[in-house]
Amino acid sequence: MAVREKLLIAVDETETSMHALRYVAQVTVGMKEMSICLLHIYPEPPPDYYMKGGTLSDYKEKQNAKAERVFSQGKTILTDAGISKERISTDNRFTEDKTISEELLAVRSEGGFGTVVVGKRGVSRTEEFLFGSISNTLAQHSENFTTWIVGSDED
Amino acid sequence: MKIDWSLFPQEIVPNLKSHRIMKSVRQQPKIYTDTSDFTSITYGDIIHVDDRFFIILGHTREGRFGIDSQIKTWVPKVQDLMTNERFIIKLVFHETYELSIGQLKVTCFRSPEKEARVLELVSDNPYFMHGNSVLDEVGNLVRILDIVDGRRLDNHIAKLGANHEEYVAEHLKDMLVHFLTSVAGIRLLHDNGLKHGDIRRDHIFVEREGGTFRWIDFDYDFYIPERPYAMDLFGLGNILLFILGKQNFRPGDVVTHPDMGEKVLKTIDTNDLSLLAQDKIFNLQKLFPYIPDSLNNILLHFSTGSQVFYNSVAEFQDELQRAVDTLP
Repeated sequence: MAVREKLLIAVDETETSMHALRYVAQVTVGMKEMSICLLHIYPEPPPDYYMKGGTLSDYKEKQNAKAERVFSQGKTILTDAGISKERISTDNRFTEDKTISEELLAVRSEGGFGTVVVGKRGVSRTEEFLFGSISNTLAQHSENFTTWIVGSDED
Repeated sequence: MKIDWSLFPQEIVPNLKSHRIMKSVRQQPKIYTDTSDFTSITYGDIIHVDDRFFIILGHTREGRFGIDSQIKTWVPKVQDLMTNERFIIKLVFHETYELSIGQLKVTCFRSPEKEARVLELVSDNPYFMHGNSVLDEVGNLVRILDIVDGRRLDNHIAKLGANHEEYVAEHLKDMLVHFLTSVAGIRLLHDNGLKHGDIRRDHIFVEREGGTFRWIDFDYDFYIPERPYAMDLFGLGNILLFILGKQNFRPGDVVTHPDMGEKVLKTIDTNDLSLLAQDKIFNLQKLFPYIPDSLNNILLHFSTGSQVFYNSVAEFQDELQRAVDTLP
């Protein structure tokens, strides 16, 4: 069963993502029961990565290092806002044969997270069709959990 | 040209000596067991893979629309020297490039491995070209493809009906029924985690006997991790547009069309154009008011004005099936 106070935040290195973290920090700081998991998911490398001599282990190493940087930034934002570090965990996933959205939904389900948070980047309809929108996919699947889609503050 | 026959295995020499190509070769033909350097394999040479000898008869051409066709040196037309059967062979050519779609770019690449997996999956499926994959001496994945006896879908449609209205009345339903088998084929691929990769109207061949639609050319792939099947889906939308319109219409085509002209063009706005490239007109009803709503609405999912997209080929297929079922 999903627990509302278990928060799963999808993070990457974008400002959109950091903005979502700041939002969460502001609105949950007083909620002592809240636990927060920072989730970083990365897909398979592009095909030319291998053709140029790259290896999967090199790729994973770089992605894991990136995830650590993102987690570090995220933890700083949350702890600076007064959220204790004991309430923050991290999870870094490599997704094969699944989209990032599918992996995110799987992690949510496995972990019983009742609330999922993503930042919303401004994309055109064309980009949305071609490259997808994680926030839209989450909104479509939010039946037994709650999704916070954090947009920009700009009017 | 004097040919040294002693350089060939004895079992193929009689057939080789009597082959018409030997009369016109300009250099001593070579036998290739390693196909890595495919550009050096030329007319009259022999590819030896899978314990078979294939003589090169020529090369296929890339049929891009509106662009002069280019010889595909990695796709020779061949003949099995023992059985005399003709095939098309695809050699390994790793090509990666950025495909521009309007302002966006998608990384595309050729994947022999993916094509081999598709060939294996569809080996009994009548709606795909068939073939098998073998390794050459150094491990290159060589695909030996049966030749589809037919013609490109667009060339086939061009010959149906004296005009659009007659085509719609007499041929459209038949084309759509056949197209639904093609759509089901793509759904099969997606259900198995595979893409076609290059869905275009010239990648469906219509068989001369029986008119079955068959997909060809599966070696392209693209890198879109979050929407892996979006390009295939849009390709299907593009083909449906062509089938319904009997051709594609860009604003310039409307102006020059004898039954349309500026008056019809004035009714077209950006929302009627293709979602991805904003060039072709997807709201065909504005050009041909007799196109049924049910079919036009499917096209509108691929237009700039659309608020709703298909998320899967299954959704597209179901809606198209319902629309076709209501046609007289």
